[in-house]
Amino acid sequence: MRSDYAVVGKRIPKLDAPDKVTGRTVYADDLKLSGLLTAAIKRSPHPHARILSVDVSAAEALPGVYAVIHAGNVTQRPFGFGHDNTPLKDRVVRCVGDEVAAVAAVDAATAQRALDLISVDYELLPAVDDPFEALQPGAPRIHDELDIEGNVSMEWNFQTGDLAEAERRSAVIVSGSYSSPQAAPAPIETHVVIAGFDADGALEVISPVHMVFMYRKELADCLGLDWRRITVRQPPVGGSFGGKIDIDAHDFIAVMLARAARRPVKLAMSREEEFTGTRTRQPIHFQLRTGAAADGTLLFRHAEVVSDNGAYNAWGSHALLVAMNTVTSMYRVGTSRLNAKVVYTNKNYGGSVRGFGNPQATFAVEQQMEELADALGMDPMDLRLKNANRPGDVTPQGLEITSCGLSECLETVRRKSSWDQRRGRMRRQHRGLGAAAYVHVGGGARIYGSDGCGAMTKIDDSGRVALISGSSELGQGSETALAMIVAETLGVPLEAVSVSHDDTDVKPWDVGVHASRTTFVAGNAARMAAAKARDELLKGAAEVLDRPARSLTIRDGVISVPGEPTATLRYEKAVRRRLLREGSSIIMTSAFYDPPTQRQDENYVGNISASYGFGAHVVEVEVDPDTGMVRVLGLWAAHDVGRAINPMSCEGQIEGGAVMGVGLALSEELPVEDGRFPAPNLHDYGMPTAMDAPPIDVTLIETADELGPFGAKGIGEGGIILPPAAIANAVADAVGVRPRSYPIRPWKLRRWIETGERSHVDKRPQLVRDVNAR
Amino acid sequence: MTSYYRPGSASEAVAILAANPGAMVIAGGTDLVIDRRLGRADPRAPLVDVTGINELRGVRWDGDELHLGATATISAIESDPAVIVRTSALAEAARVLGSVQIRNMATLGGNLCTASPAAEMVPPLMVHDAVAAIRGPAGERRQAVADVVTGPRTTILASGEILTNVRLRAPALSGSCYLRQTVRWAMDLAGVGVAAWVLTDGTGREAAVQEARVALGAVAPTAVLVPGLESLLAGAPPTTERLGAVSAAASAACEPISDTRGTAEHRRHVAGVLAARALSIAHARAAGLWSGGLAPVNGRASAVTSSGERA
Ligand SMILES: Cc1cc2nc3c(=O)[nH]c(=O)nc-3n(C[C@H](O)[C@H](O)[C@H](O)COP(=O)(O)OP(=O)(O)OC[C@H]3O[C@@H](n4cnc5c(N)ncnc54)[C@H](O)[C@@H]3O)c2cc1C
Repeated sequence: MRSDYAVVGKRIPKLDAPDKVTGRTVYADDLKLSGLLTAAIKRSPHPHARILSVDVSAAEALPGVYAVIHAGNVTQRPFGFGHDNTPLKDRVVRCVGDEVAAVAAVDAATAQRALDLISVDYELLPAVDDPFEALQPGAPRIHDELDIEGNVSMEWNFQTGDLAEAERRSAVIVSGSYSSPQAAPAPIETHVVIAGFDADGALEVISPVHMVFMYRKELADCLGLDWRRITVRQPPVGGSFGGKIDIDAHDFIAVMLARAARRPVKLAMSREEEFTGTRTRQPIHFQLRTGAAADGTLLFRHAEVVSDNGAYNAWGSHALLVAMNTVTSMYRVGTSRLNAKVVYTNKNYGGSVRGFGNPQATFAVEQQMEELADALGMDPMDLRLKNANRPGDVTPQGLEITSCGLSECLETVRRKSSWDQRRGRMRRQHRGLGAAAYVHVGGGARIYGSDGCGAMTKIDDSGRVALISGSSELGQGSETALAMIVAETLGVPLEAVSVSHDDTDVKPWDVGVHASRTTFVAGNAARMAAAKARDELLKGAAEVLDRPARSLTIRDGVISVPGEPTATLRYEKAVRRRLLREGSSIIMTSAFYDPPTQRQDENYVGNISASYGFGAHVVEVEVDPDTGMVRVLGLWAAHDVGRAINPMSCEGQIEGGAVMGVGLALSEELPVEDGRFPAPNLHDYGMPTAMDAPPIDVTLIETADELGPFGAKGIGEGGIILPPAAIANAVADAVGVRPRSYPIRPWKLRRWIETGERSHVDKRPQLVRDVNAR
Repeated sequence: MTSYYRPGSASEAVAILAANPGAMVIAGGTDLVIDRRLGRADPRAPLVDVTGINELRGVRWDGDELHLGATATISAIESDPAVIVRTSALAEAARVLGSVQIRNMATLGGNLCTASPAAEMVPPLMVHDAVAAIRGPAGERRQAVADVVTGPRTTILASGEILTNVRLRAPALSGSCYLRQTVRWAMDLAGVGVAAWVLTDGTGREAAVQEARVALGAVAPTAVLVPGLESLLAGAPPTTERLGAVSAAASAACEPISDTRGTAEHRRHVAGVLAARALSIAHARAAGLWSGGLAPVNGRASAVTSSGERA
């Protein structure tokens, strides 16, 4: 593999880091505009109720109030998948936090007082917060306006191969149920949106959303605006973890308020609203069976899945797309089947949170790999390696595996954790090792017609190279990676490159930041645009140096002719020579990259990503069986990143993801009581602290993907996928009981240890329990 | 707008409180600011900041006696070398309270007067038999800390009274310990917090218990002392069997609720587990057998390193 790069592969601190750590970054909430009003939302306190009346007269009369809106005085159309949602709820509220009315006022105190003056009459309706209950005949109907059965919003059904035949051939079949909780992305920056119209009716929205072009279209569709006259500006994002991908009810509300008030408005979520009024990671319940031959060859996997959607279809309804990939395509499985129901409940609804269905699916699939290994009397690593995906494989869903370092990842963490010497041998100290591995899209994900991203480069007379990318920076480090790709491709110093990507009027189209796609897709677009700029540069230099352009090279900003030490030219000079003359021209190039992938067909078959990322973790835990407390002592991570454009930020992404995963595994949960989150704050929501983070050892496995920019593949989500599964496996190794739901909180684990329970899903009557080996 | 006073003496503070009915005492503000924001306390009530009062400050030893000013910060308690050795339970409770930033602001008086069932410092003060000094318009009165908190968010302080200090004695051959169970390992309120204190008749493994106290936090509306320990422990070293009886007594003393930090059943069980562990560590300290510094937060001996390979 090439290693003589000038910039790529170097450890470069994130370019935005100095401003962020010194508090200079200006986030949306820091912006001050003249005449800016403060907006606030009146939310439903009930999980399910009919709205009988909304009286806003007292609020409207309050001095300092500029607009009060509710479903009765605005024009809005439904939004969301299946158009099951409206910004302001009209007839019915379906979860606590549902938006019923909103105000814009001179300041926050007045806005709050106005909210208090709005009176809403509700007729309470029976609510259901458990998807299994919601499926029962006679359960409350959550969307009686939709033509659906049993609160099932969507079904995802996939089948390949002859399941009965695979079962017959299996020497061992393990089965069990595995559940995950409602969790939150909980970024430091809460959602903020600023909206204002100019005198001509053109709309500008300032928001840390990261699918800006889709956002613009959805605003227009729902509110009847001309989307050519909407500009979305994206200030620096204070973290998203997927939470800011989606357009949400409050985005429309801010625009409607700006329209009604004829003034710009700012709507900023409080921390409590961030938990109750913005999207979460939805719980998914798996009943899984895996069968294998006596030699460990996997023969089938069969999942029956219930996804607890919450009240409406946001992105979370589509997490099954990713969960399905894991069930059918993690390891060579062959025969596989998945039947999933996405079920409405009267709760906050699921969005797209980092990992997007994969932590939940991997928790089931990878625990079952270790259960299967135990039943077969095999080492779980041997079982994994035997069935590992390999380059050239095509999975049952049509995923074409090209670069694939899965085996190397597994072997690395096995060696580094001293797995062979220690797994299964530390029971006396209540210590254990557990492993897990993943497959995740690593080269975009074709969910829309296009999975493309545009890029433009220009070089000005100072030699400054501007990359204008369609993508967005969320803190994940893409800006730095893109700058490095441009610097490497052009052969100029990194300091000369700037990246802008914050304005839909300026930047070329992009799907948005999701699916770990930015370095791959936006990186390829940047590389292509920069390569064109390089050609232009060398063309200009060729005239000056009087040599053919193809004989020239450029590195560190110096254009030279190999073998002729005196024939050199600084690249800035080449730019100026073209510019400062009659008949001048500048260097300005563009490119659009759409990966060579397919949208899944109606049977969910299609190669949706241009490459796939793989990784493996081993986790070591120590359990205190008498209190149920789990301490994570160490985490070894190996990830196939294709090529680490910036190893420092690859490690950062993996470590940050792993710590988030430890939180999912052990402490993060939004328990629901009577349809409410009783504790929507960061003190009670169990995000891990530095004290909960284990020492993490990261190995980057470089497989140089054929299509990735310089061989890179996506790594934004990989780190978070594995800890729930690996920690559950480690706990099983330490104390001999298998956690079948997470978070593995102390009281749950202690009860499992005491009762020796092997299946731990409460209230799931139709799910089969117990491991049954034949 | 809120009026804000910063008196320089306790008597001035008492006078300001008397002149401003409804005024609230603020120390570090780590509870009160949140309560005011959430509307659990009146956000417009006048504030009387007691951190400027010299006589309320400091961690001071006078022979056997420890004098803790009401505004002594949790970090000052955590880092006092004699507190760590002689009243270890206080140091062990202090070092798990909140985060470094919180501990630098939070005060002992605030922790006691906020009267949370899970307040970290209360069980250690109770097992050390601490006495609180309370100043009001009628002068100063003293009250056992065990009697100061009367229920969730209520104390015996009348409006207009302030806590000025807390005092306790740490005699030779005594030792204490505070342990807790949490969901995460820092920045979490106790699911269960247990303090134990032991006075022995000598040193060494066979040292007999003369007096012992165990107090439980987060398992009842207020922290509670486990009754009947003398008869279970006095006159002998804490054998496994005796510790088992302590566990049972501790579990029996709980009246827990279920919430996001634990089920009632689990809290009852863990109170017993941690009581035995804390008591045995306190005994080891009293009997001169302990050399380990502060105990692991859940009292379970554990090497927090792993024998895997690291880059
Ligand atoms: C993030 C976070 C984490 C926390 N973690 C923990 C934890 O792990 N364990 C724990 O126990 N607590 C915890 N707390 C709560 C809090 O920090 C402690 O209770 C702290 O000791 C309160 O002290 P303070 O000086 O900040 O009190 P303040 O907020 O100033 O006051 C608290 C109450 O006491 C009254 N008061 C204060 N001083 C006096 C006085 N001298 N006389 C009369 N009344 C007085 C006030 O009027 C008020 O009602 C946490 C708080 C936060 C914000």
